Amino acid sequence: MSDEDRHAEGDARFARVLNELRRPIDLGPEIDARVLRALREDPRPARAMIAGGPGKWRRSPWGVAGIAAALAAGIAAAVWIGIPRARRAGEQRPAAGATRAVEFVLRVPASRVSLVGDFNNWDPEASPMVRASDRGVWAVRIPLAPGRYRYTFLIDGARWVPDPSEPPAVENDFGTPTSVITVSYGST
Amino acid sequence: MSESDADLVLRARGGDLSAYAALMARYRVGLGRHAVYMLGHRLDAEEVVQDAFIRAYRSLDRCEQPHRFGAWLFQILVNRCRTMRGRTRRRERLVTNEPAAEAPQSHDAAESIAWRDELARALGRLPADQREAFLLHHVEGMSYEEMRALTGARESALRMRVKRAADRLRAMLRDVYVG
Repeated sequence: MSDEDRHAEGDARFARVLNELRRPIDLGPEIDARVLRALREDPRPARAMIAGGPGKWRRSPWGVAGIAAALAAGIAAAVWIGIPRARRAGEQRPAAGATRAVEFVLRVPASRVSLVGDFNNWDPEASPMVRASDRGVWAVRIPLAPGRYRYTFLIDGARWVPDPSEPPAVENDFGTPTSVITVSYGST
Repeated sequence: MSESDADLVLRARGGDLSAYAALMARYRVGLGRHAVYMLGHRLDAEEVVQDAFIRAYRSLDRCEQPHRFGAWLFQILVNRCRTMRGRTRRRERLVTNEPAAEAPQSHDAAESIAWRDELARALGRLPADQREAFLLHHVEGMSYEEMRALTGARESALRMRVKRAADRLRAMLRDVYVG
């Protein structure tokens, strides 16, 4: 182990950071399903040669056009990632009414915190947050259908605070700084 | 006994999508972790992992060492993350995959989420090259030789990036450590 490794690993508190980062993160088997759908719909290989028998290769019947198509595959893939998610091949909208549980967490010194946003008509009474620790952590979990929502936190009924986890996003209709959350399709 | 990567790659090259599905299931978690921490947002991470899987399948003939499919796939992901960083990113909080429910979560869970948010923010403030080197070395457990082969950067530069990233993270998280 090198000096910098020892420096990093030797710090007991820093080790907690590493342990947290090393925990696996599974984005869900829905990704596999979407990939398979996309490959079934367009199984095009990114190559100009196709298999012609055991251990052999032969020219693609596409000829030069095939080579161009293979090169275009890379371009197409680059363009593909710019297509709105809900419109991509193989990606399906969830059934009507399907929701995902979304956890909102804020660390702030306060005696009362509410979550307000497009999803609850900006009603301060609709989604009160629960004090989740004595270190000023507040949390609430609400079901959201896929879509884009503006929201903010209301501190002690008087102060509006955008989500520090997100960049300052937009002004709402009342001139209050807000954040934006996008609940995605295809991962319900 | 599970089928080897090499066998699955050979079957997938022949168009067997079930073989490719087995490979995706095998490597999805590892790719997800790197993508989430490199990009900072789950939606972006899902996109690059999905894109990496599709690109890898369509380039399987260029996987010269099928028994090292995992390393080859990871390299594709690292490159996709670099490309994604250059684009305007969407913003999305990490979203659970649990069924929607209004039951309050445990205090420990909320504390854990807050902690991970702090950690993700600190990582996000690192320069991208330092974040990448730090994650590859300390999280993915790569040697500097492996990192050099993957990134093309000199070993001395990689060592410096890892050290600077560790120092900066340590400073940024000094006031956040709990427990």
